[in-house]
Amino acid sequence: MPLPVLDVKNLVLWYRTRKGPVHAVDDISFALEAGQTIALVGESGSGKTSTANSILRLLPKNVLRYEGEVVFDGQDVMEFDNEEFRKVVRWRGISMVFQGAMNALNPTTRVGSQVAEPLIVHYDIDRREAADQAIEALGKVGLSGDIARRYPHELSGGMKQRVVIAMSLILKPKVVILDEPTSALDVMTQTNIINLLKDLKNTEHLSYIFITHDLGLASELADLVGIVYAGQLVEVGPAEGVFVRPKHPYTGKLLASVPRLRSEAAPDFIPGVPPDLTDPPPGCRFHLRCPVSFEKCGWSAPEFIEQVKLLQISEETKDKVPAIEAMKAKDTQTLLIKPVANGTIAEFAQRLTSFIAQDQETYRFLKSVESVQSKAKVVEVKLHEAMPPPLIGADWRASCWLLEAGGS
Amino acid sequence: MLGFLILLAVFVPILAPYNVVQAWNDPGAWTNNPKLAAPEWSEIFSGKHLPRTILLASNGEPGGFDKVRISFNVSGQTYTIVVLRKSFSFQFDTFPSEIKLFMTAVFGNATGTQIRVFWDRPDGQEIHLFDGNPSVRAPYENTYSLTGPSFKDPSYAVYSSVRDWLIAKNVTNQTEWASLYPTSGGIYQNPPQTQTMLMGRLNRTILDPETAEVLKGNYSFRIEFSGFTPTDDANARAVVYGTVFGLAGTDYEGRDLLVALLWGAPVALAFGVAGALASVLIQTILGAISGWYGGFIDEFVQRTADFYLIIPTLPILILLGILYHLGILLILFVLVVFGVVGATTKVVRSIVLQVKEEQFIEAARSYGASRSRILFRYILPRVMPYTFALIALTVPAFIFLEASLSFLGLGDPSLPTWGHILGDAYTQGALFASRAYPTGLWWWVFFPAAGIIFTTVAFALLGYAFDKVLNPRLREQ
Repeated sequence: MPLPVLDVKNLVLWYRTRKGPVHAVDDISFALEAGQTIALVGESGSGKTSTANSILRLLPKNVLRYEGEVVFDGQDVMEFDNEEFRKVVRWRGISMVFQGAMNALNPTTRVGSQVAEPLIVHYDIDRREAADQAIEALGKVGLSGDIARRYPHELSGGMKQRVVIAMSLILKPKVVILDEPTSALDVMTQTNIINLLKDLKNTEHLSYIFITHDLGLASELADLVGIVYAGQLVEVGPAEGVFVRPKHPYTGKLLASVPRLRSEAAPDFIPGVPPDLTDPPPGCRFHLRCPVSFEKCGWSAPEFIEQVKLLQISEETKDKVPAIEAMKAKDTQTLLIKPVANGTIAEFAQRLTSFIAQDQETYRFLKSVESVQSKAKVVEVKLHEAMPPPLIGADWRASCWLLEAGGS
Repeated sequence: MLGFLILLAVFVPILAPYNVVQAWNDPGAWTNNPKLAAPEWSEIFSGKHLPRTILLASNGEPGGFDKVRISFNVSGQTYTIVVLRKSFSFQFDTFPSEIKLFMTAVFGNATGTQIRVFWDRPDGQEIHLFDGNPSVRAPYENTYSLTGPSFKDPSYAVYSSVRDWLIAKNVTNQTEWASLYPTSGGIYQNPPQTQTMLMGRLNRTILDPETAEVLKGNYSFRIEFSGFTPTDDANARAVVYGTVFGLAGTDYEGRDLLVALLWGAPVALAFGVAGALASVLIQTILGAISGWYGGFIDEFVQRTADFYLIIPTLPILILLGILYHLGILLILFVLVVFGVVGATTKVVRSIVLQVKEEQFIEAARSYGASRSRILFRYILPRVMPYTFALIALTVPAFIFLEASLSFLGLGDPSLPTWGHILGDAYTQGALFASRAYPTGLWWWVFFPAAGIIFTTVAFALLGYAFDKVLNPRLREQ
């Protein structure tokens, strides 16, 4: 197995906010071989762009935790000081194509000098020579040299995107991070840009980190796919595998949400909202929205209470739930339920147990109940232990307890 | 408007060289101009043909006095007689403001050296104006005012000559004259206006300047000089001052206000533009540094700006002006020093705070551009358009400041700026109506004020034009 050109290990990036730490990147690891493309796919706010920024060390001021290993070309660049990092890694080793190319160009600079800017910054070369190289780079992305004399506002969206790509290639980096390079472009232009990126990958021997939420584009370009959910990689594997037989339930739901031409089935959706990254759920972070969650997925007492309350409110389900006067979390995995004074505690425990047994396939949080015990005035419900699932597998890893259990 | 101002600023130094400005503070350079004369074109409003200044040049110069000099010897005593004569045509509807005679004389012993001055009128009358002794030798001039309110010789002689002449012609008598022009201790309380008597029709109306009629036609001066050495000589020059002058009139020294008005334009432009450019550019750069680097630098610059904003600049300048008599360059320097941080710093900082979150800045950071490079290559070019508008809008403030200082008499005393003229006009009470000037000395105030307003409006419009170009909300569809 060849040495990876980029090996990201246990990358962590937390931001400090007034509400508490935001776990934007929480223990992400992946490796990228020369010439390979990894697509990082996920919902908005899942931490894809933060991952890219933390690889290039483009950090805002409110960073709380920034650690892990980024091994580029055999060196752990996390050990570098800022100046060394700027000289060795930025643009010479890893360059970036920014989200929204429209805004990534200096509106007051001609395109030629803009493309040449990294050259001037890094090599301090003659202006004329830099301009020649800029025109050459523009040629590589299919733009004619006279574009160099224009200002960004004179170009179309696709042209600007090409200019930004030319700028990312001018120092001949090994890895290019493409942060949603085609969002805000029309579909035809998207296709053109993707084809251009494919060509450049072959001619320039580039590795891409392709950040997108568009599964179609990801399948076009990627060799590897990493599915990001709530700051974590829930599944990493070869594109043909992940897209065809996803191992993680989230990947499955994501694929099912893509509308397809000539298909009767309406696109599926994932209920609920992505979790709050200041307080990520325990266990598997997807368990709240997961259609197949079970005992081990990591329900906690407060979540359990929340779910029971939802059932009590709903018109359809309120009759099924045994009459409850109050619920209280004793600790994260234990909760106390006080029934309405109507019969004995033991009777209530009986009703509760039968409710759990009956409806746990419909309301999957009920599966997390380990035991129901009657106490003096209350019923104590113990839940299964919440543990984050490990990434299971070698070349194709996914983090889901189901895989350990042997299911799919 | 601005184009006109710039053309003016370029051409004035060519058309009116700097030595004209240097002569501004030399009263001797302006003796051929009438004092407090309105612009020539103002006669359209009065409907009369108002008198221009008639210069009767010295003999030897073209159009000057005719001169005959005889030197002869009678029984061992040399006599030198010089006769100077010059006639001029006077065809205006009102009387001149003043008549003055300037004589240079070369003479040996002052005793007995005499000047006799005669005045010939178109109606054939001749008035023997006065006899006098020249008091200074050439090249200095003996100045004789034939009309002025001066109670020194020879005006008094002229008053007496005119009185005697009028009595001889039976126009008036001793008693009436004494009641019209009472004296106290030999000094006239209200001196007679001799120019109306010298140039009016010979009848009863001549006594009252309000009713006197101008006698049009050819007048002439005749001057007889007699001395007692062979080298004695005399030359004369006379000025019949009009009541109107040039395009912009004159001030109390007889200075041509047009010169000052024209010179005011380049001075105001240079001062305003240099001051605005320097202070706004410095403020912009400091504001950008403050917004871009943030932290302690930001805090320092902004608090300094707060401090500077509450410093009253004008009183400080007045104080400095009183203590040190600042030249215009020093005033400019002080203004710029007190304007290194200010409102613009705050405006630019807020723009920079917005610009620095834009993606191309992050992009620049990602390919390793240094912070100063980003500041000068990415941020400042974005801020510059706003800066130009701010410069255009700041220029008037500087022009006003300079004008205020000059008005208070604390500006550069050597330069005829607009504010300076206004200050002079104010101290001379230009806006108070008098009997001689029922509308006040309006031209003295109106033109410099118009100059300041014109320039200010020109720059304000320029600023608005910039604003229109730069502010998308105001951009026309």
